[in-house]
This record gives sequence, C-alpha cells and structure tokens, in this order.
Amino acid sequence: MVRFLILLLASAFAAFAAPASAHKSSDAYLQVSSSPSGLTVRIDVALRDLDLALDLDADGDGRLTWGEVKSAWPSIASYVANGVQIAGCPLDPADRSLERRADGTYAALTFRSKCHPSSEPVIRYSLLQGLDATHRGIARIDLAGGASVVRVLDPSAAVAADPASATPIEPTRSGIAFLREGVLHILGGYDHVLFLLCLLLPAVMRRTSGDWQPVGSFREAAVPVAGIVTAFTLAHSITLALAASQRLLLPSWFIEPAIAVTIVLAALDNIRPLFRGRRAVVAFAFGLIHGFGFAGALSELSLPTAAFAWALLQFNVGLELGQLMIVAVAVGLLFVARANPRYPAWVIRGGSCAAMLVGALWFVERTADVSLLPL
Amino acid sequence: MKVMIRFLALLGLAWGLLGAVAAAAAPVVPRDDTEVVEVLPAATASRAEERRWRREWTAHRGDTRIATAAARRLLGRAREEGDPRFAGRALAALGPWPDPDRAPNDVLLMQATIEQYLHDFDAAAAKLELLARRAPSDAQAWLTLATVRRVQGRYAESDAACLALGNIADRVYATACLAENDGLRGRVDAARTGLARLIAAPGLAVETAGWLLTTLAELEARAGNPASAEAAYRAALSQHDDGYTRISFADFLLERGRPADVLTELRDQPRSDAVLLRLAIAGTRAGSRNGARDASEMRERIALANERPDARVLHAREQAMFALRVEADPQRALALAQANVRQQREPVDLLVLVQSARAAGDAEALREADRLRREIGLVDRRFEASL
Repeated sequence: MVRFLILLLASAFAAFAAPASAHKSSDAYLQVSSSPSGLTVRIDVALRDLDLALDLDADGDGRLTWGEVKSAWPSIASYVANGVQIAGCPLDPADRSLERRADGTYAALTFRSKCHPSSEPVIRYSLLQGLDATHRGIARIDLAGGASVVRVLDPSAAVAADPASATPIEPTRSGIAFLREGVLHILGGYDHVLFLLCLLLPAVMRRTSGDWQPVGSFREAAVPVAGIVTAFTLAHSITLALAASQRLLLPSWFIEPAIAVTIVLAALDNIRPLFRGRRAVVAFAFGLIHGFGFAGALSELSLPTAAFAWALLQFNVGLELGQLMIVAVAVGLLFVARANPRYPAWVIRGGSCAAMLVGALWFVERTADVSLLPL
Repeated sequence: MKVMIRFLALLGLAWGLLGAVAAAAAPVVPRDDTEVVEVLPAATASRAEERRWRREWTAHRGDTRIATAAARRLLGRAREEGDPRFAGRALAALGPWPDPDRAPNDVLLMQATIEQYLHDFDAAAAKLELLARRAPSDAQAWLTLATVRRVQGRYAESDAACLALGNIADRVYATACLAENDGLRGRVDAARTGLARLIAAPGLAVETAGWLLTTLAELEARAGNPASAEAAYRAALSQHDDGYTRISFADFLLERGRPADVLTELRDQPRSDAVLLRLAIAGTRAGSRNGARDASEMRERIALANERPDARVLHAREQAMFALRVEADPQRALALAQANVRQQREPVDLLVLVQSARAAGDAEALREADRLRREIGLVDRRFEASL
C-alpha cells in the first residue's frame, strides 16, 4: 500500500511539475552548402549526446576532458558519417573542432563530397535513433539559386519535415482542412444561418397586395432562392477575400453588431415590406457585411502565409457547401409547409418576429459586451 | 490594423526561424588534454551504475520491467534537473512499443506520463483513456488523466477521472482532485473546506501535505486572498520544498508587485528555464544588478530553443511571459500566448493571454480571451483587474 501511494504521489507531482520546462531538447545542427568544387556538410552534435551513444567519458567521472574527446574522434566521425547520409554524395571527413553553445559543448564535424545535386539533396538521418525519441537534426540547406531552406530531420521518420508547416503560430492543416473549417463555421455560425433563413422564409410564397399566396410549383420557389443565395455568396466572397488579404479591414466592434442589424432588417421586411421585394439586392448588400464576419473567423484560424490563397479558397468553398446544405433542407421543409393556411401567420410572421428578437438581443450583446443568449 | 500588425508579427516570427539557425556558436580551443570541455549533468546514481542499467536495457530491449524502470529513472532526472533531454531518452527506452494497442499497461502509463511532461497533452490523454478502459482499477492512470484534462481546461472530464479515482484509491487523492477543480470553477468555500480537512488529517506524508498546501495557496490567490495565499505557500515550502511550489510562489509575488522577494525566494534554485525567466522578470522590475544578465541569458536560451520549430509549443507560456514582462513586446507576447492556450489552459496561461491582449490594446483578443475563460468555466479574481 505504501509503495502504491508513493507511486500515486509521484504522478500527482508529475502533473504538477509539468509546466516548469527547462533547457531544451536534444538537437543537432546541419549546414549543407554547395559550391563549384562540391558539397560541404557541417554537422554539430552535442558532446552530451555523443556520450550517450559512444560512452565518451572513458573514466566515468562525469567530466569530459579534451584528451577523452580527442581519442574518441575516429569513432565520433564514423558515428556521425553513418547517421547522416546524403543520397548520391559519399562524405569524406575534412575538419573537426569544438563549439560552445548556450546548452553545452558541441563536436563540429565538416565533411566534403565532390557531388553536385541538381535539386535539394535528400538526407537520411539516424543520429541518436532509439536513444532519444525527441532528438532532431535542424538542417539549413543552401540551394543553388542562393535561397536556403530549413528542414527538421527526425531519426524515426523517413522524410524530412518542412518547419514552416510545424510552427504553432501557423498550425499544420493537411489537405483540405480549411474546407472543413468553412463548413463548420457556417453550420455553427448561428447569425449567418438566421439571416439566410429570414430571406428564405417567404421564398415559397408570393406577396400579393399585402398578403401571401403559396407558390404553385417548386420551380417558382427555386428561382428566387437561387438568386438570393447567389447574391449573398458573391457579396460575402468579395469582402471575405478583401479582408483576408488585408486590403480592406473593418473593426469587429462594427461588423458584429452590423450583422445583428441585417437579421433584424431582413426579418422586419417579411412583416412590413421595406425593400419592395428586391431580396437579391438586399442579400447582396448585407452579404458584404457578413463577409467581414467570415474573415474574422478566418483570422482566428491563422491561415498559412505560404498557401494563403489556397486556404482561403477552401474556406470559402466550405462556407458555400455548408450554406447549400442549409438552403436545401430549409427550402424543402418550407415548400412542404407552404400549403398550410397558417403558414404566413406562423412561419413568416412568427418566425420573423422571433428572428428580430434574437437579432436585437445579439445587437445589444455585441455593443454592450454582455451575455444574454446561450449561443 | 490589429489584424495587420498580427500578420506582420507572424511574418517576423517565420523570418526569425530561418535566421535563428545561424545562432551564436563560439569555437573552443583546448590548451591541453586535461582541460575539461564538458561537464555531464550530475547523476544521482554513479556513472558506472548508470551505464550498467543502460547496458542491461540494451541487452533486453523487449523486457517491460527493465524498460519501464529505465524510463521512470530517466523521467525522474528530467524533472529533478529541469532537462527535457532525459524525457526524450525515457521515451526512447519505451521505443519497442510504438503501438498503444499492443503496449503493456505499465508501458502505456509511462509513455503517457512522459508525453505529459513534454506537453503533448492530447497524446497523453488518448493513452490514459485507453489504459483506463483496459484497466479501470489503475489509480495512477485516473489521477494523471484528471491532471491532463485540468491542464487542458476540460474540467468536466477531469471531474469524471477524479470520481473514478475515488472508487479505487485512498480518498485523499480523489477529494483533493475534485477540490482543485471546484476551486478553479470558483466554488472556493467548498474547495477550501475540503482541502483544509485533508491537511488537518494526522499522519500525512510531508510531500502530500506540501502538495495540498500548494493547491490551497493557488486557490486563495485566485480567490483574491493574498494574505491567506502567502501563508499557505510558506506552509507548503516548510513541509516540502519543491521546485513547482517555488515557481508558483514566485509568480504570485510578481503579481503582487514584490520582485525583490522573488529574487530571495529563487536565489538557491537550479537555473532551469522556469527559474531563470522569473529571475529575469523580477531582476528587470527591481532594477537589480543581475537583472540584465539574467534577461540576456534567457534571451539566448530562447533563441537557441527556437531553432527547433516545435519549441514554441513547449515553451510558448514562458516565451509569452518573457516577451510581455521583459521585452515589453505585447504584440509578440499576444501571438505566443494565443498559440499557448491551444495547448495549455491553466489560470496562468489565461492570465498572460489577457494581460498581453490588454497591453497590446487589442479589444477583440481580450474579448476572445474572456470567451475562452467562460468556455472553460474558470473563475479567477485576478482577471477582473485585467479585463
């Protein structure tokens, strides 16, 4: 029992001690440069790490002397040459020295090769494999055209990683991850959905001198719906692109309440005609505002600067897909319900009143920065 | 404009990453063979003994018992010395079991504990949940899971793990576990009563007493009772002087505007990154002789650590604090603090986020931070001054 408790306590402290991280994990530094005479590769490995692999500390006193390192140079050189291989380029040892860095002393080995890789050389890296699971080689490779790239070499992985995709500031989102974000954003963005619904509620009806008549065919409903959705899509795509590419920025203290206002106005129009039936124009004008709202969501996702346009396109296509899903379901249901004589009273007026109320509350929330609704 | 600035800050970080690889390295030219060129970290066990068990492990790589013992020993050294290299070695000791579904329970628990130390919380939680399903009476798995979920700001899941722990282990752990979550949610009175009852119990091990008192101290600090918090911190340190409590106490003293006391409290601590960071902040504020030296050493360590891209995940909290409190660069601090809360969501992480947003004058980020705080369910009086 006592042992069990000690174990438990160790774990409790483990958790406790977690944030107090210190020093750094093990890294080796590689510099690969090419010249007319061939390839030069310099590899810096910490003596601490080499000691783990090669037992450099011959007398085991915990102090590495220059004598101990010197007599171990041949085994260090062959260990490093074995652990760093460049496809098509046999490496010959050329120079060696010691370097002091902030976390200790490093052995710096220089190798040369007569090869001339035409593109970025492929590095097979296996230093400290099986000895330290968090060890990485940080390679800076000078390319022919004067540019240079940084690669992170993981001894347990076959392919080098591009660090530009590994920084937490710009998290990796593989493949079409931004498409998914776009779909999720519109499905979870209640304000955009509510605005769309306000526009769609009367789409299955015809306004005749102040009263509503159900449309005869699905086609009669589908045409205005397509117009509204296209206008809304065009408009928010324009402002989303402008805002995301930093060309036109509006502060969110203005945009967020403005979106709430668009809901109130769209709903009000269903009860008392404000816009004289030009719903596509309204959808376009208000869509411009919603586009800035989408851009706000997008900025929280930290788009990769490198593949910016691609990510933006994905996000937008995702938005449209999500929007189409909502429209398909909503229009289908409304179309079925339209024949009910109570549709105008319950769905159009009731629904619009509810939307106005929610929109108004959102407006208050977003201007006064208070929380009134659970959404 | 804010978006623009943040965008430029990101570009700057990416650029810094490329440039940092050329970081400082000075040649060493030894005079003679006896010159010591590197001191290997002091081992609790002698070097000979260390090599003996390393050889033993190499010879029996598939042996669960030898591998987990080696990993536990290495992780212990990582904690003692604040050196994550040992955690990487500990993880490598368990390398023969890469597939969690096939790893024995002991191996799985150890892997998760190391991943937690390395701030890979998602991976740790996945392994612990697998283990808890497989061996529901494994108290340590539940306790560690409760902690990981708490650090992630997922209090409900942490509660569930605490409750499961209560069914199988000594009640003191389950009670403390739940009390800590209660305290984070602002149910201060209940949490305080629960902890006080545990602390008053006779025959408590000093480590346990210290742990409970530190939990109480942090609770009082969040509840806005600095006098009680300080008393609890001092009681905790008199019971059991551990690095975590010292750091937590130092953060508390910095919040209270007492940098000189921080310098006293941390004077004899090993200069891990966490300790050095607080020394740099306190030294800068107090205008002490060593402040500038500590700050420049910390700056150098950060530059070196950042040569590895994922370093910002591991050190984002510390780097955000440094950018905010030493470099007075709130834009950069905000970007780092925002990256940090994707991983860890302890009160201190939200505090540095809120303070950075405020210093940067970014109302949107401030609102976002408050939204996150509400989403987590954290109640902390210290935020009221900042929000």
